[in-house]
Amino acid sequence: MNPQTHVRYEAALKVTGQARYEGEVMPPGMLHAALVESPVACGEVLSVDAARAETVPGFATIVTRADSESLRPSGATALIREKAIHFHGQPVALVAASTGSQAREAARAVHVATRVQPAVTHLDQAAGAAFAPAAVGRFPAASRRGDPSRALSEAELIVRNRYTTDVNNHHPMEPHAVVCWWEDHRAVVHTSTQAVFATRASIAHAFDMPAGDIRVLSRFLGGGFGCKGQLWWPWMFWAMLASRKAGRPVRLELSRAQMFTLVGRRQATTQDLSLGFVDGRLTAIEHDVVAQTSTHADFSDSTAVYTRLLYACPNVSTAHKLVRTNEPHPVPMRAPGTAPGTFALESAMDEAAGQLGIDPLELRMRNFAAHDQESGRPWSSNRLLECYRVGAERFGWARRHERAKSKVGRWTVGFGMATTLYPAIRQACKARVRLSLDGSLVVQCGTQDMGSGTYTALGQIAADALGIPMAKVTVELGDTWLPDGPFSGGSQVTASIFPAVEAATSKLRAMLANLAVGDPGAPLGGRRPQEIEFRDEMVRGRSSNVAERLVDLLARGPADGLAAEGECAATDHQALAATGMGYGAIFVEIGVDAELGEIRVRRVCGTFAAGRILNPLLARSQFIGGLIGGIGMALHEQTVTDRATGCILGKSFTDYLIPVHADMPEFDIAMIEEDDPHLPGGVKGIGMLGTAGIQAGIANALHDAIGRRVRHLPIRIEDCLASAY
Amino acid sequence: MSGPSFRYIRAARLDDALSQGARQGATYLAGGADLLPLWKAGLAAPTEVIDISRLPLSQVSYAGDALAVGALARLSDVSAHPVVKRHHPMIAEAILASASGQVRNLATIGGNLLQRTRCTYFRTDGLACNKRDPGSGCGARRGESRHAALFGGSVGCVATHASDLAVALAALDAEISCRGLTGERRLALQDLYPLPGATTAPDTSLADGEMITAVHIDGAARFAAQSTYLKVRDRASFEFAVVSVAAALRIERGVIAEARLAAGGVAPLPWRLGRSEAALIGRAPTGEAFALAGELAVEGATPLAGNAFKVPLLHNAVIRALQTVGEGS
Repeated sequence: MNPQTHVRYEAALKVTGQARYEGEVMPPGMLHAALVESPVACGEVLSVDAARAETVPGFATIVTRADSESLRPSGATALIREKAIHFHGQPVALVAASTGSQAREAARAVHVATRVQPAVTHLDQAAGAAFAPAAVGRFPAASRRGDPSRALSEAELIVRNRYTTDVNNHHPMEPHAVVCWWEDHRAVVHTSTQAVFATRASIAHAFDMPAGDIRVLSRFLGGGFGCKGQLWWPWMFWAMLASRKAGRPVRLELSRAQMFTLVGRRQATTQDLSLGFVDGRLTAIEHDVVAQTSTHADFSDSTAVYTRLLYACPNVSTAHKLVRTNEPHPVPMRAPGTAPGTFALESAMDEAAGQLGIDPLELRMRNFAAHDQESGRPWSSNRLLECYRVGAERFGWARRHERAKSKVGRWTVGFGMATTLYPAIRQACKARVRLSLDGSLVVQCGTQDMGSGTYTALGQIAADALGIPMAKVTVELGDTWLPDGPFSGGSQVTASIFPAVEAATSKLRAMLANLAVGDPGAPLGGRRPQEIEFRDEMVRGRSSNVAERLVDLLARGPADGLAAEGECAATDHQALAATGMGYGAIFVEIGVDAELGEIRVRRVCGTFAAGRILNPLLARSQFIGGLIGGIGMALHEQTVTDRATGCILGKSFTDYLIPVHADMPEFDIAMIEEDDPHLPGGVKGIGMLGTAGIQAGIANALHDAIGRRVRHLPIRIEDCLASAY
Repeated sequence: MSGPSFRYIRAARLDDALSQGARQGATYLAGGADLLPLWKAGLAAPTEVIDISRLPLSQVSYAGDALAVGALARLSDVSAHPVVKRHHPMIAEAILASASGQVRNLATIGGNLLQRTRCTYFRTDGLACNKRDPGSGCGARRGESRHAALFGGSVGCVATHASDLAVALAALDAEISCRGLTGERRLALQDLYPLPGATTAPDTSLADGEMITAVHIDGAARFAAQSTYLKVRDRASFEFAVVSVAAALRIERGVIAEARLAAGGVAPLPWRLGRSEAALIGRAPTGEAFALAGELAVEGATPLAGNAFKVPLLHNAVIRALQTVGEGS
């Protein structure tokens, strides 16, 4: 299959408003729900008094901890079953009423009595109680190879610094929503989730009911970025309990302000990193991470994991620790681990290059890891060196040496570069294809499309395999009535669906081929099935121009057309013979007006090696989207907490800044094709690659421009400001 | 998403509006650019909303170097008005540096001057804020103070005024006309904004029901050729000023004859930099004079932990604005 630039499958539906998001489902008799939030960050709920709320016109029902006792205890129900208040804004009740404003008015009228306890509202406050998590994602929390402390003591150059990154929030355009109702003992749950099957399993466990009695739908998602997962479940359960109590459908939609507290965050990190060099080669790395987690659960990003394998180095130790604070619980967010981790590592490499007097690009090429030194396995494929070379060429990196503090208007220009990487992973997936007598194709899979192009990819893979134009393909996603599909996250959906759809379409091709050759009177009758190929809605003989129209062929088959299912298993990382990673080189040009402290990104060149690219048009869009998210993390995004109360401040887009159009640089995206023999279909994920690396690239470019090294994110006016004229 | 319910009244005539607006719990609605977000967040809970947007108060007139802008004129219309662009380009610049195109199409001149502070303690229900809840204290002083005032703050409030337009207007000695049940009065724009006290921090000196009807700039077109509005912010657009400077000079025979300087983002009101202005008079428009103005601009600043960087930033911004203005001479 050749790369195709199919436009987005659902583009017209979205721009004409016909794509129905789950929060827009409006069953008759539906109630609207609102959450009552805790006014304190730590303590216990003593009582919830709804007397005044019940007098609000339209009031229907209230759900509190008492109602949650019917749910089975688990991590997903702890927050709504227990008295403890873990963070400011934690919901303590849900109120349902006839309209949204009535529900909010009733929620404001609920009186909550609390016992307040002192809250820990900053990482530093509890740094002494840091502990090692059981694991960081699917990786061990700590690692060691060789003897890094000895190697550091023998190094010619040591670069030892602390890097910090602040809390970020995900903020998809579409906030979390659920519209749910009960049909006798069955539950119908329309909700914005990145994982319909995991959501169904969570409901089945909490409500102690068979999964078969639950239907979860998430057909269109206005973004997820990692937050449309488990942290949403407790509040969704409460909406379901309210629906059961009231005997009517219930709708709950989070406000933008609640998106700052209820659905996760990127944890703040403090990273101590030491690099040791001998003769320009890395001889030692120590990377120790301390990060925030909540008081009710453990979560650690894999921040230092990629430090284990990005560069060739015989002596490496990494460690992750967590500190509990009375703040919202963190979850994976856009390039989890790699974004904060590469900020530290790739900033430190730039600092080392400066001290060694070596070009930062040259230093990276010199320390390229020819295989995965942590596991000892070869790379499944790795064209990072090609990314460096092509990116440098396209960007004009060599001009870096010609420019001496060049200025464009008021802007002092700086160049920076950094590496990005993300593991290639795959989940179990099933897919079904059905060809109707009129030659139209339906492709079904229970995964969902976060807006990243899954509809298009799924349809395109099936259409190309069967020689059918996209216009005749219908893709059905985001429904637990469809075949089991993977959750959307970790940049692995395309890699997971690809083999499943290929398996389904090859079965269909075999059926069609047998049909084509089976009738001696048909044009291809009597040929061998292996000779049949599929193009332009025809079946053809490979070595002749004899052909038959697909619809004619189908007319001879079963009356309801032909269907087939395919499936693939999840990656068994232990059994892999090679390590699969996607790579990229990010080159950045910034302008800084140091007298006013303003910094703007002027130009970004991202060169990526991520296996086979199925659809360059969509891939380019994914890479640019990732880079923009990375610019946000580098220069704008910061979730600010009032330390006195634990309350998050400025819970709106007025105060939580993200890049706007006027901030957009010129983007140059290049994709280095890889022929990866180890991964099914040769497909690696691409979504996360653009989001990491650029943070260090920007910090390195700032240093290049004005000689100032900023080791924390976000980088703001006060960081770039010359103290005075 | 909606806030508490209220009674909506569309005012047919100005006199009706004034008596309706004077009632307890009533508030005026013009463009709604600030009121709606406050209401949605539960921070404004009027019982009556008097929609004045259809009253005939949106005229822009100019005669004998006297500019009068009706309070209900839209920001986008004023910034695009030929008279404003020609005689008061600094006003157009300040407006175009504000908000976004969509918001400017909605927001009115009077509403812009009356917008409430962006202080996140004011904007977060439940936190200590004397402006929202007199007597509750000021969370920002010891808390997150990046956006706090350098000048004019008190132990009870360090909020800044967020309007760009007000800074440019203040530099040009603008006045406003107000109408209330007791009649009309005219006052200097800066007198609209009282300084905060120890436990209270009222936004304006307007009486209940009193309404801004027009903004006046008299005899200031002489600055048209040498004026600028400089806004410093973390991203390129759609953000309130971290610091801003409105600067205007009149240079006669190589010497500064008049200087106007006002700063935004640093005080509870647009902050005139009088000492800097006075020091510039009679000097040649050189880097030395500008540096002096920059130094005097930050004299008396009382920074907190989070906003100390705004002292050098204001210093540098004053110099940059004067350089920009002085380039023409």
